[in-house]
Amino acid sequence: MSKRHTTHATFVIERDLPHPPAKVFAAYADPKKKSKWFGGPPEWDSQHAMDFRVGGKETSSGGPPGGVIHKMSGEYWDIVANERIVMSYEMHLGATRISVSLGTTEIKPHGAGSKLIYTEQGAYLDGYDDAGQREEGTRELLGQLETYLNT
Amino acid sequence: MTTIAHATIVMERSYNASPARVFAAWESVEARQRWSAPADGIRIVYEQAEFFEGGSDVSRCIEPGNEDYVATVNYLDIKRDKRIVFAESVVHGNKRVSAALISVELTPKGANTHLALTLQIASFDEAGMEAGYQFGWSSALDNLAKEFAL
Repeated sequence: MSKRHTTHATFVIERDLPHPPAKVFAAYADPKKKSKWFGGPPEWDSQHAMDFRVGGKETSSGGPPGGVIHKMSGEYWDIVANERIVMSYEMHLGATRISVSLGTTEIKPHGAGSKLIYTEQGAYLDGYDDAGQREEGTRELLGQLETYLNT
Repeated sequence: MTTIAHATIVMERSYNASPARVFAAWESVEARQRWSAPADGIRIVYEQAEFFEGGSDVSRCIEPGNEDYVATVNYLDIKRDKRIVFAESVVHGNKRVSAALISVELTPKGANTHLALTLQIASFDEAGMEAGYQFGWSSALDNLAKEFAL
């Protein structure tokens, strides 16, 4: 079966956070902090590694016990301290590449806290995933970020 | 404070060639150097060319009287004769001006090939690079037709 098709979509998620931009940025920039919130559910056996600089790579993989491995591999394309992080990343389910995306995280001062704006421009490959599922997964991830920042 | 403009541009063309020939015109760096220059007087010079998944290109767009645009490409997904997906970042002078995800899809249509190019762009200079991508790629795709005129 060699049928290929690609679905392109963009989604945007915004969060008002009661934390200053520097604190929010640090939750992305510091590998120890990021690995506390970035990844699958707690019951998964997950691995995370990142090199936070332009041209640096990030990988995160894990899956349910005995189940298929979900693997994210990304690269940082642009970093402006406390303001913006742009990366491309691909997702694999087992050996199958299911998507490639460009993800822009913008952090802006907002009152005493921050406004976080995440924009994902994705190419979803061969019907394995779609923008709706990805948006839902990303909302869960940002929920984990909020929980981490609040504790 | 920086302003980012996000945009999606889709361009479609039909070429009088098989998907294998169109794919080969992307795969060959000599061919790409020829057809991707958007106008007379603008040259594209490759400093690195690695057309395989995980490989990177570095190319310089040289226009007299302007600072070079240096594009770095990472190839993310390549399916021979069918699809090429890559991420690209552009630096102008010493300023990074954009990041983009670019998909090329090839579909046979009789003896011809339908090409769909989708540019998903994050432009860091307001919408400047969105206009740049529109101009550069529409010219390049028109030039590509000449590769099959022989």
